[in-house]
Amino acid sequence: MSSVPVIEVEDLWVRLHGRDVLEGVSLAIHPNEFYAIIGPNGGGKTTLLRVILGLLPPSRGVVRILGSTEAAMRRFLGYVPQFRTFDFDYPITVREMVLSGRLGHITRLPRRYDEGDHARAEEALETMGIAGLADRQIRDLSGGEQQRVIIARALVGDPKVLLLDEPTVYVDAPTEAQFYEILDRLRDRMAIVLVTHDIGVIPEHVTRVACLNRRIYTHDSSEITADMLEAAYHCPVDLIAHGVPHRVLSEHSREE
Amino acid sequence: MLEVLGFEFFRNALIAGVLASIACGIIGTYVVVRRMVSVSGGISHAAFGGIGLGYYFGIDPLLGAAGFTVATALGMGTLQLRARQQMDTLIGAVWAAGMAIGILFVYLTPGFAPDLFSYLFGNILLVPQGDILLMAALVAIIIAVVAFLYQELQAVTFDPDYAKVMCLPVERLSLLLLVLIALTVVMLIRVVGIILVIALLTLPAAISRLYTTRIWSMMLLAVVLGIIFTVAGIGLSYLANVPSGATIILVSTIAYAGALGIERLRQGT
Repeated sequence: MSSVPVIEVEDLWVRLHGRDVLEGVSLAIHPNEFYAIIGPNGGGKTTLLRVILGLLPPSRGVVRILGSTEAAMRRFLGYVPQFRTFDFDYPITVREMVLSGRLGHITRLPRRYDEGDHARAEEALETMGIAGLADRQIRDLSGGEQQRVIIARALVGDPKVLLLDEPTVYVDAPTEAQFYEILDRLRDRMAIVLVTHDIGVIPEHVTRVACLNRRIYTHDSSEITADMLEAAYHCPVDLIAHGVPHRVLSEHSREE
Repeated sequence: MLEVLGFEFFRNALIAGVLASIACGIIGTYVVVRRMVSVSGGISHAAFGGIGLGYYFGIDPLLGAAGFTVATALGMGTLQLRARQQMDTLIGAVWAAGMAIGILFVYLTPGFAPDLFSYLFGNILLVPQGDILLMAALVAIIIAVVAFLYQELQAVTFDPDYAKVMCLPVERLSLLLLVLIALTVVMLIRVVGIILVIALLTLPAAISRLYTTRIWSMMLLAVVLGIIFTVAGIGLSYLANVPSGATIILVSTIAYAGALGIERLRQGT
């Protein structure tokens, strides 16, 4: 992997409410990677994503997107926030919500969608299998359908990397299976970063796993083996998978 | 009843009601979807401070209210962006402090403040010609800004985090929206008065929300409803010889209750 990392985080420290939430976190996410970040609730996963997205300034450290620290680089990020962080009662149609993902690429004022934007929106709707719902209100959709809309909005901006924050918390098991099929299809178009507290959900095709609990612990692995999953359990924290508590196992080295 | 249209004061009242309804429908839509009702309440009550200052310094109280509410809106918005917590306490403080400043300065102003009650409770039948021109200018500004920034305001009121990831100027847009709310509130003071502003700002949009699926259609229906409520309120208040502001608000509230009731019945079946 000699290419420029799509996301590079260097020695990131975040202090919130007098408490260190992230301590010296460094990581690099390369194109074509499917990167899973796991860790307990309150371990700083969402905070790390928010810093990468520019929503939270770090106390120390830098975030580079495609090698640059400029804010405008954020348009190359596709973000799938934790479900229900916004108001699903908002009067907006599926098409409008997906189209809004293009706004980061429109710099001419007033910002209006052109034919290219509409074509990309249709494509994203097709990719997510929700073209038939385009004129529906988002509040009239099922949970699984709403989630597809959120991902379609992230895809419409042609992201180089897709960041997913606890994407399967609110969807049922069959929807979850479909969801991972979709991610597999997207893999050859962009890097994927999946953040979750539930190690049971790590799909087979993940290329790298990092554990985050204030500090980050990474596991190099190009193929998915039982070893890797086991390595994930080696986090120096109690992780819970499918409701089964795992005891703390040996500590392992922190990425420097 | 129709012969009353021959009176200039009545025609002015209707024009003022229509202009206020346009501003309410457009800005009230954002207030309702973004759930900024209490912020708007705080801003509107702070306006009384501006009216008091206007009396004290001998400038047009509405001009004082405009300056004071815009400043309050910007101050509250900045605080909200910096320190996210305890916004409702902050709103309560601004709400009461604005009224307190108003009361103090009205008290300190020598002489009697004859139309003080019309600022508190509105008196649309006494709107002077100059105020109508001012209201028309404000409506034109609101329509122009919202038409120009429609996509941005939708993105910011729907999902501010995502808007920020897309590099939209979220802070400036949020402050702009608060300023538009402040200006709308000032327009409404003449129509329904400070105390009742919040109802006219939110009720037409809240009813419209039940029947529309887009921001622009919600605005359109809210404007139409607002015009119906104000015109009906002005007419009824003239016939019954009761205060117009309160009548407008009661008409709106009854319509809102009716709409909610019908909606419940529809969903029940």
